[in-house]
Amino acid sequence: MSAVAPRVPDSPARIARSRRRRESKAGLPVGILLLVLLPLLLMPLGAVFVFALRGGLPGFWRAVRAPEAQFALRFSLMIAFLTAGINAVLGTFAAYVLSKYRFRGERTLGIVVNLPVAIPTVVVGTSLLLLWGPIGLLGKWLDPLGLQPMFRPAGVLLAHLFVTFPYMLGTVKPLLDELETTYEEAAYTMGAGRWTTFRLVLLPALRGGLVTGALLTFAHSLGEFGATVMVSGNLRLRTQTAPLYIFAQFEAGDIAQANALAAVLAALSFLIFFFLFRYTARAKKAA
Amino acid sequence: MSIVLDQLTKVYGGRRVVDRVSLEVGDGELFVLLGSSGSGKSTVLRLIAGLSRENSGTITLFGRDVTHLPAQERGVGFVFQNYSIFRHMTVAKNIEFGLRLRNIPSAERRKKSDELLELIGLGGLGGRFASQLSGGQQQRVALARALAYQPRVLLLDEPFGALDAKIRAQLRRTLREIQRALKVTAILVTHDQEEAFELADRIGVVERGRLLEVGTGEELYARPQTFFVATFLGAGTVLHGRCEEGRARFGTLTLPIPSDLPHEEGGPVRVLIRPEQVVLGEGAPERAPVLGRGTVVEQMFSGATRRLRIRLPEQAGLRQIFPVAPFGETGTLVEAIVPSDRTLPEEVDVALKGWRVLAQPQPRLLVTTPGTEWTEPVAFATRLTRDVGGTLAVLGLAPDGEDVEAARKEIREKLVENDAAAADVKVRAGSPTEQILAEISESFYDLYVSDGRLDGDRRQMASGSEVLERGRTPVLFARGVPRAVRSILICTAVGEPGRTDVRFGGWLAARLKARVLLLHVSRVDADSTPAWVNAHLERGVRTLHALGVQGDAQVRPARTPLEGILAEARTGNHDLVVIGRHSGPARSVRGKDDVTYQVLRSIDRSVLVVPADA
Repeated sequence: MSAVAPRVPDSPARIARSRRRRESKAGLPVGILLLVLLPLLLMPLGAVFVFALRGGLPGFWRAVRAPEAQFALRFSLMIAFLTAGINAVLGTFAAYVLSKYRFRGERTLGIVVNLPVAIPTVVVGTSLLLLWGPIGLLGKWLDPLGLQPMFRPAGVLLAHLFVTFPYMLGTVKPLLDELETTYEEAAYTMGAGRWTTFRLVLLPALRGGLVTGALLTFAHSLGEFGATVMVSGNLRLRTQTAPLYIFAQFEAGDIAQANALAAVLAALSFLIFFFLFRYTARAKKAA
Repeated sequence: MSIVLDQLTKVYGGRRVVDRVSLEVGDGELFVLLGSSGSGKSTVLRLIAGLSRENSGTITLFGRDVTHLPAQERGVGFVFQNYSIFRHMTVAKNIEFGLRLRNIPSAERRKKSDELLELIGLGGLGGRFASQLSGGQQQRVALARALAYQPRVLLLDEPFGALDAKIRAQLRRTLREIQRALKVTAILVTHDQEEAFELADRIGVVERGRLLEVGTGEELYARPQTFFVATFLGAGTVLHGRCEEGRARFGTLTLPIPSDLPHEEGGPVRVLIRPEQVVLGEGAPERAPVLGRGTVVEQMFSGATRRLRIRLPEQAGLRQIFPVAPFGETGTLVEAIVPSDRTLPEEVDVALKGWRVLAQPQPRLLVTTPGTEWTEPVAFATRLTRDVGGTLAVLGLAPDGEDVEAARKEIREKLVENDAAAADVKVRAGSPTEQILAEISESFYDLYVSDGRLDGDRRQMASGSEVLERGRTPVLFARGVPRAVRSILICTAVGEPGRTDVRFGGWLAARLKARVLLLHVSRVDADSTPAWVNAHLERGVRTLHALGVQGDAQVRPARTPLEGILAEARTGNHDLVVIGRHSGPARSVRGKDDVTYQVLRSIDRSVLVVPADA
């Protein structure tokens, strides 16, 4: 086949694959890397499981089954699901607008929507309080009407949406940018409207980015601490997420309880990343 | 008629990227829009498909006005240069996409896609994905996909542009066969003339948003009307001369003007000579018009034939505009072709066994602007261009190292602001005078509008007089605010310059609908006007009348020519003074005793200087 394909910039994956690996003499550098990573990453993670299982499986089980722990875990999962779902839609929409339309202030908006990754999460929490809280800019008008998202599940959701917003954008927008406009235009000329085109042509092309973005959002939401601690009020059985529960138990000296839930969270995160890894590996293979 | 475009116009950034395009394409015809990149040909296609919105004009497909319909409802098939095959769908799913949108049952869709796969020579590959196909195969799929829902119009935007030569040739054949078999009306856009010749029933040549000419390949090659088409399709030489007494005059050569291409008396005229129409040898064949005797300066072997360039000495009233002569070349370079086995002496007589007089070109004016300012000459040139019905090129002179693109953009904005968006913008960096001279030698201009000052800032000026000294283009030294030129004073002397200045000034006057006064200054102490002066003036007035210009002659006694000219310019209140120039090696305009220089220096009006060999 001697045809010249349209030039597409090489994806990082392809470059990585084409690079010849140096397999010989890998022992020393790999060893050093492991030595560095051991105290930094691996041992702390191991410690969580060691401590969680100190009281034996029954003890672990009991700790996890405690009503407060159960609530925290379920609440965290629910918030993570909602956050991932809502941001999947919002983020894709933002990516679509930023990628397909040219307008004044486009660059600024592009920076603004990515800001949440740069702002410390505690500051996010504070700013939400200063907007929605009882004495906040909007809150002081809404509070008398009985609308008060802070210290309620809605507040936690707001904080998580804020903090995780850039993930979806970051995974979907590059894919949209890479699609030539003629991709959509081809569908238009064949008779597909904007929505049909989005559904049948664009969305399938974005699938990889959507899955990756949603998993990243989910994982981050599950572990979110800084913003949540500010806006939730850390109310047991009402707004306490799993990370907050762990912290609260630690503070109260109930280390076994804390460890048990910490182990569960860690395991969940492993699971998510396992899926992510497998998915991207498969997507790479297909490409 | 399948496709009818009427006065289709698209404006982008103040520029008409599609400029009043009208076109009719017949049922089952394969029409090729041919043009260089950026000519607007693809935009025409996108307008027809509804992918882009026109500013004015209408589009009719099979009698249905679709101008205001969205792309989805126009029912056309479109093939893009980059294939745009949906990557997550199989080839079959891609082809069935249009049918699926039309709710065709899947069994039927299947049948149709199998049929089309067979037709494009990819039978059995329906289950593949785009990533498993070559570029040529992908484009075949794109073609099938665009045809699946049986559109009556197929639009192809440089479909083979990204493919290599061999695949391209195969695909051309496939396209032609399929288009004939399905009897679908098609418009294909390309920049490749070979492709156009090979595929097209008819070709339309597009340049700067305009559809210049439409015809079969043979027609356009043998009988082009415009300079652009003449040189865009095929090789050849284009000469520039003037229309005199109803004939096209190129130096000593005169040719009849075809009756279907009316020319203004005194106006510019151009002739295209294809290489195969040039006869070389000792002496000329009987009755063949002779261009002159020249030397062979270049030979290029190309198999069965040899391509030659013959150089003829410079001649007054004859200028070569194509091929572009190297800077400093004053002679005429003629392209010819001979059988490889023929040997030629170094010097040959050049005769013509065929030629094509082109349609009368619009006057082309050039003006420069230092940096990007909106200067008096630019305003003057803009006005003058509009009044003579010509085209204007604005040459921005960016100092070395300055951002050429930024300058271009700025000048364009200024032009749009000043209602002169049609003008061409060119930007060159480097020494101003050299850049102007280079521009003038690369593209042909009828008139260069210069700053009115004779001396002063070296960066801006001196260019006008230097263009005069080193070129053959008439130069207008613009002074004062632009206004309509109603009255022209032509200062004429007897002899060679006295002919060109009357002709050029008269032609300009005819275009501007201005009055003309022919002035001859005689010595105060002379007893009476010599008979030859009267005869010259009489001939001049007759020439003016032949040009359709209202003109009178006057003999004014004065101590010096300058005094007489100044006095008449003042009392007659003329808007423009035209003065001739002797040709020859001593062209300097800045000699103290030079009348032209004296007039330029002392007069407060715009002055047009016409070289005798213009």
